[in-house]
Amino acid sequence: MSGAGIVCAAGVAVLAFGALLVLVARSARVWRLALAAQAVGMSAVGAAGAAVLFGAPIAGAPFRSGFAPAFGVDRLSGFFLGVLALIAVPAAMYARDALRDVRHACAVVGLSGVFCLALVGLVVARDVTTFLAFWELMTLLPASVILVVRQDEQARRDVFAYLAITHLGGIGVWASMLVLSAHGALGGVPLHSGGLRALVAVAAIIGFGTKAGAMPLHSWLPRAHPLAPANVSALMSGVMIKLALYGLIRVLFTWAAPVPLWVGLTLLALGALSAVGGVLYALFQHELKRLLAFHSIENVGIIVLGLGASLVFASLGRWQWSAIAFAAALLHTLNHAVFKALLFLGAGSFSGAVGALELDRLGGLLRRMPWTGGAFAIGAMAIAGLPPLNGFASEWMTLQSLLHVAVYGPFGVSLAGAIATAALAATAALAVFCFVKVIGLVLLGAPRRREAASARETPVGMRGPLVFLAGLCVLLGVVPGLLVPTLARLGPGTVALSRGASVSLPGTGGLPALGLALALVLVVGGLWRAARSRRAAPSPAWACGQLVEPALAWTSAGFTKPLRLFLEAVLRPSRELTVRVEHGVLQEVAYDAEVPHLFDTLIYEPVTHAALHGAAVVRRLQSGSLRTYLLYLLGLLALLLVLVRLGVLS
Amino acid sequence: MSAAAAVAGVVQLVGGVAVAPLIPGTVQNLKARLQGRPGPSPLQPYRELRRLWRKSGVAPSPRTIVYELAPATVAGSLLIALVLLPIGGRSPGWPVGNDALVLVGLLALGRFAITLAAWDTAGGFGLMGASRELTFAIAVEAVLLLVLVLVALPGGSTDLLALSAQATRPAVWGEPAHWAAALAFGLVVLAETGRQPVDNPDTHLELTMVHEGPLLEYAGRELAYLQWAAAARHWIVLVLATDLFIPHPGPFVAQVAVLAGSLPVWCALLALCETTQAKMRILRVPLFLGAGGAVCILGLASWFAGGGS
Repeated sequence: MSGAGIVCAAGVAVLAFGALLVLVARSARVWRLALAAQAVGMSAVGAAGAAVLFGAPIAGAPFRSGFAPAFGVDRLSGFFLGVLALIAVPAAMYARDALRDVRHACAVVGLSGVFCLALVGLVVARDVTTFLAFWELMTLLPASVILVVRQDEQARRDVFAYLAITHLGGIGVWASMLVLSAHGALGGVPLHSGGLRALVAVAAIIGFGTKAGAMPLHSWLPRAHPLAPANVSALMSGVMIKLALYGLIRVLFTWAAPVPLWVGLTLLALGALSAVGGVLYALFQHELKRLLAFHSIENVGIIVLGLGASLVFASLGRWQWSAIAFAAALLHTLNHAVFKALLFLGAGSFSGAVGALELDRLGGLLRRMPWTGGAFAIGAMAIAGLPPLNGFASEWMTLQSLLHVAVYGPFGVSLAGAIATAALAATAALAVFCFVKVIGLVLLGAPRRREAASARETPVGMRGPLVFLAGLCVLLGVVPGLLVPTLARLGPGTVALSRGASVSLPGTGGLPALGLALALVLVVGGLWRAARSRRAAPSPAWACGQLVEPALAWTSAGFTKPLRLFLEAVLRPSRELTVRVEHGVLQEVAYDAEVPHLFDTLIYEPVTHAALHGAAVVRRLQSGSLRTYLLYLLGLLALLLVLVRLGVLS
Repeated sequence: MSAAAAVAGVVQLVGGVAVAPLIPGTVQNLKARLQGRPGPSPLQPYRELRRLWRKSGVAPSPRTIVYELAPATVAGSLLIALVLLPIGGRSPGWPVGNDALVLVGLLALGRFAITLAAWDTAGGFGLMGASRELTFAIAVEAVLLLVLVLVALPGGSTDLLALSAQATRPAVWGEPAHWAAALAFGLVVLAETGRQPVDNPDTHLELTMVHEGPLLEYAGRELAYLQWAAAARHWIVLVLATDLFIPHPGPFVAQVAVLAGSLPVWCALLALCETTQAKMRILRVPLFLGAGGAVCILGLASWFAGGGS
């Protein structure tokens, strides 16, 4: 066994110890120790994964088509193990202080440990049985964590929706994996029939797409993610949905390869829909964690756009760009994991300090919680795709890939590439819009409720992981070029990229990330110093001479109103205005507006209704009377005899 | 580095920093003349900048570091954007590269900083402008990227040096896709510079301001930065228009001369557009810009209809 394999196995053992330690005793000391053990174990696993990614020999078994369990780490698995560790370690350290006041903290700690184990297991599984077993565990464990901490009716309904949708979609995963395994494709035998490849591709897109939260299969995601404790939310949004994309990558890029052109175009369409739809609905959310969950859909869309571009380039024979687009997708996977975990942990800190996460009832938290607030602001800038942070680097690469799809493709492909490019550009602008709103409502301005005015900064154990993740956002934004050539080697094509701080791609002006970051810091800092030397007279903000009172404060709905009005035909917002007048005097004005989630009302509700209706019809067959059942048996027998007689069943 | 590249670097900085305020000044002056007024001198923006530079600032409350950093961030990101633009097809090789999408990112950073500052003081009018500006930006960025797709079609590159080089030949005008891109870029210019019919740069009525809204609380040097930034945005989009769409053949000096000659023409066109157009309803602006997107798609179709050469 290679060195990386030994380190990885040892890490898994420590992780398992950390997960099971809570069975010993229920005291806070024990579960805090358990979390530390989990963090150590995950660090070892991540280190082993990174070693394999950067050139250490492949550890363990290769993929095989049999049913006997097998484990191993290759470079793609190594990358995902590294991403997992980068999120799981800060999340575990954060939980050591954050879970203090949570009910059943012990159970949450144990289940989070097992959840990490399941995520590791999925990535290192090398046969279909193990893969599917860990796949199911990965779906079930977050549901159990949510049910431990939340016992209200609404939470149970949402968990049910989560399990129902992901399991129905999960049929696609089972179908594609079992077909691949049955034909020996996991072991390296290519699928011969084009029809079979198409079937596997469609099943994989449905199955893994549901779990990744790609629209229109996403409806569970904004329900389930906000319910979990912050550290589990970070793992779910940061890693779990990425592992669904890991499965999709394995199927479409290796096992069912080469897939036809339309698979790549389908991914482009799904990616564009998820990116624009996710961020659009995120803009109209009023609760921070739900808003972040919709942004996960957006970012999955961006990653899927990169993967789709890579497949399209592969179909066109443009191997160089295929590798670049693949690297863009992986880089965004890593980046999104980092900043989304940061944002979810930050939201957890705000929730602990203020008590609620309604956007319109926070405000002014940057002054009260400078460390948490500052790190959160960096994460928000990164997710909005602004230079010089990491979100910009990967969105820049994805945008370049899409633009080159439009440049290199024949007309239909080019049109798809152009529309996807415009969609991603609009997504980036919408994300800026959304996070300007979030930072403004949460961190800036005057506090909007008493708890926000008296919020206290979190202990070091909670803000340390946030600062670490914010540092990663900056680091990955400044030197993405150190990682990109390694990621490009994992892709289908080959491209010779120079390793350096900047990303230089053919057919672009290059992204000199380090130079750009230094220039921005120096120029902005210099200009700031030059303006600061003047004295400034204090004054209230201008409100046409009116007194600024809290009732005049801008709300989330107000800020997004121009867009809501412009997109009225698409979003179909509902709005209710009731004015109560008594004796000609205005007594009360009540205003209520909402942007309904159209995917729920137009797709999921009719489907649910139809399913329930169908179930009611079928239920009539179940009369409970023994005679009826005997009649059914007789009928079936007669039918079979008739079929045999006719020669249908020979 | 060749002498021409060094000259290009000087023009990038001196032109962007010192000549940029002349552009809005000239547009205002020409507009006044078209309306039969003598109007302010084209040098008026310089006088305003000098006056603001000497004045003390205003510190509204509540505010944080975000409010204080915003003007420097806006001006700084535009200052870096200036040196991304090739002059006469050359650039001295600054360590920030020459990529068109980096330019788009820097413009977004400036927009982010100033709209965030509006939240910091939480003044109603600043936020009104900020929310409108961000709504417009969605359409602006999408159309701008489609324009870049069209101009990248012949050469397959988003490097601004390559894009500028391929537009040197007058033959580019024979390509309908080029016309479509130029037309759509015109709409982007109107939106980025805050000109009518998208925004009215002359208005100082709080309810109608878009770009000016978030500037409301600033004074002194900070306001000077923001006013310079508005001028620099004119410089950037107009120089980009010349680089991408106007044939500029010949040696370096001739190319710079074409740039110098084109800027007054662009100013005159802006003044003419502003005189003849009324400001449109805010909700029609995204549709107006979206028309640019449709033109780009038509341009793409025409490119392939023409054989995609």
